[in-house]
Amino acid sequence: MTTETAQPPSVEEIYARTVLDIGIPPRPTILDILARELRSGEPDFGRIAQCVSEDVSLSAGLIKTANSPFFGFRIRARTVSHALTMLGINIAGKAIAGVALRNAFPASPALERFWDASARIAEYSGHLVGLLGVREGIRSDDAYTFGLFRDCGMPVLMRKFPAYRDTLLRANANPDKRFTTIEDEDFPTNHAIVGCLLAQSWSLPEEICLAIRHHHDFLLMQSGAISLPPASRRLVALAQLAEYIHQQHSGMNQTEEWAKLGTASLSTLELGQVQLDELVAQVATRSAQADID
Amino acid sequence: MDTAGIDPLTGFLDRHGCLRNAARLTEHAHRDQKPLSAIWVNLDRFRKINGSLGMGGGDAVIAKMGDRLRSRNEHRTHIARMGSDEFLLLAPAHGCEEAASLASELLQLIAQPMEVGAMSLYPTCSVGVASLEYAEEAESLLQRAEHAMHEAKRQGGGRVVQSGDEQLPGRLGIKLAREELEVEHKLHAALQIGGLYLHYQPIVGFNGRIEAIEALMRCELNGEMVPPVKFIPVAEKTGLVIRLGEWSLMQGAMQAKRLSDLGLPTKVAVNVSRAQLTAPKFSQALYAALLCSDVEPRLIELEITESLFMDVSELVQSNMRAAIAMGVSLSIDDFGTGYSCLATLKDIPAGKLKLDRAFVVPLPEDKRVYAVVKAISQLGRELGMTVVAEGVENEQQSCALQDAGVDAIQGYLHARPMSADAVTGWLDHQAALLKA
Repeated sequence: MTTETAQPPSVEEIYARTVLDIGIPPRPTILDILARELRSGEPDFGRIAQCVSEDVSLSAGLIKTANSPFFGFRIRARTVSHALTMLGINIAGKAIAGVALRNAFPASPALERFWDASARIAEYSGHLVGLLGVREGIRSDDAYTFGLFRDCGMPVLMRKFPAYRDTLLRANANPDKRFTTIEDEDFPTNHAIVGCLLAQSWSLPEEICLAIRHHHDFLLMQSGAISLPPASRRLVALAQLAEYIHQQHSGMNQTEEWAKLGTASLSTLELGQVQLDELVAQVATRSAQADID
Repeated sequence: MDTAGIDPLTGFLDRHGCLRNAARLTEHAHRDQKPLSAIWVNLDRFRKINGSLGMGGGDAVIAKMGDRLRSRNEHRTHIARMGSDEFLLLAPAHGCEEAASLASELLQLIAQPMEVGAMSLYPTCSVGVASLEYAEEAESLLQRAEHAMHEAKRQGGGRVVQSGDEQLPGRLGIKLAREELEVEHKLHAALQIGGLYLHYQPIVGFNGRIEAIEALMRCELNGEMVPPVKFIPVAEKTGLVIRLGEWSLMQGAMQAKRLSDLGLPTKVAVNVSRAQLTAPKFSQALYAALLCSDVEPRLIELEITESLFMDVSELVQSNMRAAIAMGVSLSIDDFGTGYSCLATLKDIPAGKLKLDRAFVVPLPEDKRVYAVVKAISQLGRELGMTVVAEGVENEQQSCALQDAGVDAIQGYLHARPMSADAVTGWLDHQAALLKA
């Protein structure tokens, strides 16, 4: 852990700089094409497959997603068209958004770790839906997509503000304040709002955008207020539980979020302590099996 | 045994039985001049419980809830089951205060954890309380209790609301609340399925320059338009306005970025509500929208409704300062109608003043209105502001406004509000005309 923390610039100083010195990943064209095809009512799979195939990493990512264990297909996708047919256009759209998100940021070792953790939480969230059932219309692929996008504001802010990493360390270690409150103290915005608007600009469903917007809002989660709809509340709870299970398994990167959000998440998912312990074991088994597969 | 009027699951009176009983109790209360209160209890998130435990599980929850209500009925209330997850307690000899205190006890009683099968539930409920008024009929009493319960639910559930404490009490309130619930439902649905979108209306200077395009929110669901006058007030009441505001900021910023990328850099003016500007996270959302859309801040203008004049609090001022510091400009919308206060004008760092259409409609005939417009234009100029008139429909109005010193106009005379694609085409056409 670093001992030298740079003094964060004042908010006025930050405002004074233009916000244009960073390239925020624009919504990939493929998502526009997908949206258009979806609106048309009769999507042209051939055209979509052709567009996806033009991008090698997108193709590989889509096929890998279709073959990932939590979808549970017995057959394996070999081609983009095959993956599209297996997943269906709606789920394929979310899978493509997930792959495109990672591709949209330049690779760096620190980001690789971040994406790997996000991918693991996404995967666990998907497994959890498999174990707990579809409720509030939240299916495995919704939970998976939310897991991938939940913290997507972080890489944006990491690139924008070099001192952001130090703030993250402090936010992770703070047992009382909202995670985003710590960010707000140092920077003109926080990763939940940035993530929400980024997801909106990529046309992700509103319940996912709202869940991203409020995923650290433990008071809102506890209160049961209607400003966080049940579907969004469930997404937040699933990912929080997935993160907790991931941390239990890996024994690394402990945060204070479970202490703040755990009770509300369990209540949302209608789980008691006994069921929690069982789930931790079940997800471990399922995940280990998936890794072997 | 005659079981008509009895709910088989709980053994309480059912809705029909309750209505008969309520009429009788009301009559007695009026006759004996004793109080009577109705307490409407609705289990929160019951649909979710039914969805996760199945109908059988849902029934088990209701039966347990019934047992709880029965076991603690020291007050000898008349309990009825009014619907799948709704109970009504009629409490003779209970006035407002006694009924409110009983309702709070019920809230705590119901909030005890409940084991159903292998699940632990944490039930909460919304409670509405109404006490019989002079010459009131049973139906009205029950309706008021139910209305108060809906208000408790609207406020997030897990609470008691007394009839009369709602924002709009009484029967008018019941009617309006029903309409509002429908609009709220439509808004949520529109946001979910892409039924919300922005239309854009150009603001054109008398020098031919396009000052900005104003983003106007539209809501369409199943082919039916919900007019802004209906959905904006509902959004403001429910808190949805904050998210809608963020949504339109982001959409507007993305449109500004698209236009700029197409070589048609045009300022996009986005309406900002009072609720947004008084929210602590306003500047964070604005900054995030600029960051995510990658737009030059000078291409974004925030139209601030004039009702903010009522209270330019420190938070509002600091939010406005933050916007200016980011490079975004401000304009004052609907100036001159409601709460305009010239003394406050100096506290708002706006670069643009938009005259309400009420000043445009009487022109050019009304000389007194013309004089007011001329004076406001003069004032705006002295304060370094661009003065814009809204709702301009014909050449005569336009000439009068130009003569009065107004800088730019917005209205059907130039263009109606149009879709993002249409306004792009319109701007492209205007640019071509200028070049020619």
